Amino acid sequence: MNIRNFAIPLIWVVAGLTAACGSTNFPVEKLAEADIAIQQAEQVGAKDYAPLEIREARRKLDTARSAVEEEDYEKAQIYVEQALVDAELAHIKTLSGKARMAVTELRESIRILEEEINRNRLQNTN
Amino acid sequence: MKSWLLLPVISAILFLAACGGPPADNPLLEEAKSEYSAAEADTAIVQFAPVALKEAEESLELGFELWEEEADKVRIEHQAYLTLQKTAIARETANLNAAQNEIERAEPERQQVLLDIRHTEAQLAENRAQQALEEAQREREAAEQARREAEELARKVDELEARQTQRGLVLTLGDVLFDFDEATLRSGGVRTVAELAGFLDEYPERNVLIEGHTDNIGSEQYNLDLSEKRADAVKQELLNQGIASDRIETKGLGMAHPVASNETSAGRQQNRRVEVIISDQDGAVSER
Repeated sequence: MNIRNFAIPLIWVVAGLTAACGSTNFPVEKLAEADIAIQQAEQVGAKDYAPLEIREARRKLDTARSAVEEEDYEKAQIYVEQALVDAELAHIKTLSGKARMAVTELRESIRILEEEINRNRLQNTN
Repeated sequence: MKSWLLLPVISAILFLAACGGPPADNPLLEEAKSEYSAAEADTAIVQFAPVALKEAEESLELGFELWEEEADKVRIEHQAYLTLQKTAIARETANLNAAQNEIERAEPERQQVLLDIRHTEAQLAENRAQQALEEAQREREAAEQARREAEELARKVDELEARQTQRGLVLTLGDVLFDFDEATLRSGGVRTVAELAGFLDEYPERNVLIEGHTDNIGSEQYNLDLSEKRADAVKQELLNQGIASDRIETKGLGMAHPVASNETSAGRQQNRRVEVIISDQDGAVSER
């Protein structure tokens, strides 16, 4: 078999694939990165602790995806970056909200225990 | 419009455009700047979130670079938005770290309080145990006291030569303690009654029933009278010894309740007697 008969179609296939990739002139991994950030924030409980931020992040990611489909890459870039930063804020806000709640609970449990001690002391003196 | 005016105006516009001058303030960028300045002035953020604060600062600088380059308003405002969010992230990071610090501080405090609570609970239990111990001790002492009192009573009863019967303690004063056919106590009888009075002094809750009895010699009426008089004589002696009269009851029962046969003189002598029935602790004497 002549190598040319094989090589020429191959060149066409590679060229075609390259063209296909090149047509999406946008770093798609940025969409994935924002999507993962949103999912991670939701996993720690952002829907309860930062509902507005996480909703905003999702909305912006959707807008970014639409912009990619419309090949408006500048708009896509802006929206995916904002979606990412919104998700990050939702994530940290959730963690800090939980930690502050834990502090409140800890303080409350200490207060209750101290009351218990005072009651015991009263009983002791009786 | 006059044509001679047109030239200088156009020249002025061109001059201004060429010179450029400072671009107008972007409100969102200004807001980002003031938010960042507030965060930078917050010692908690500087202490607890230095990296996040730095990222916000870099973002703000990039925003101003774009502004100075007179970049597209959309890009400047995008950068301002990122700065605002990164500043908020710095603030929340500081909150998170501060809260975690407080948890680290408060947890040992909680452990200490738990120790304290166990301590006071232990003390409480110890106090209860001590109280129970003292209570038991008191009960033992009370039981001991009751036992001693019972022994004492038994000893006193022995001294009285009283018998324990179904009716209780019964002290019998025999015929020989009275003058023959008389209701006068002899000196031996007086001594016995004095012992009884001492006993009644010691046990003020106890009362007595004095019963006179005779043998069957003589008429029934005579014997009833004699038995009653002898019982009264014992009562009188107790009164003499200072025993209150409301503690003393008397009955002359005559020949109705012999304790021995009236056929023999020894039996008859036993039947001629005065019985003193000592009441229980409630002062009640069981009737015959």
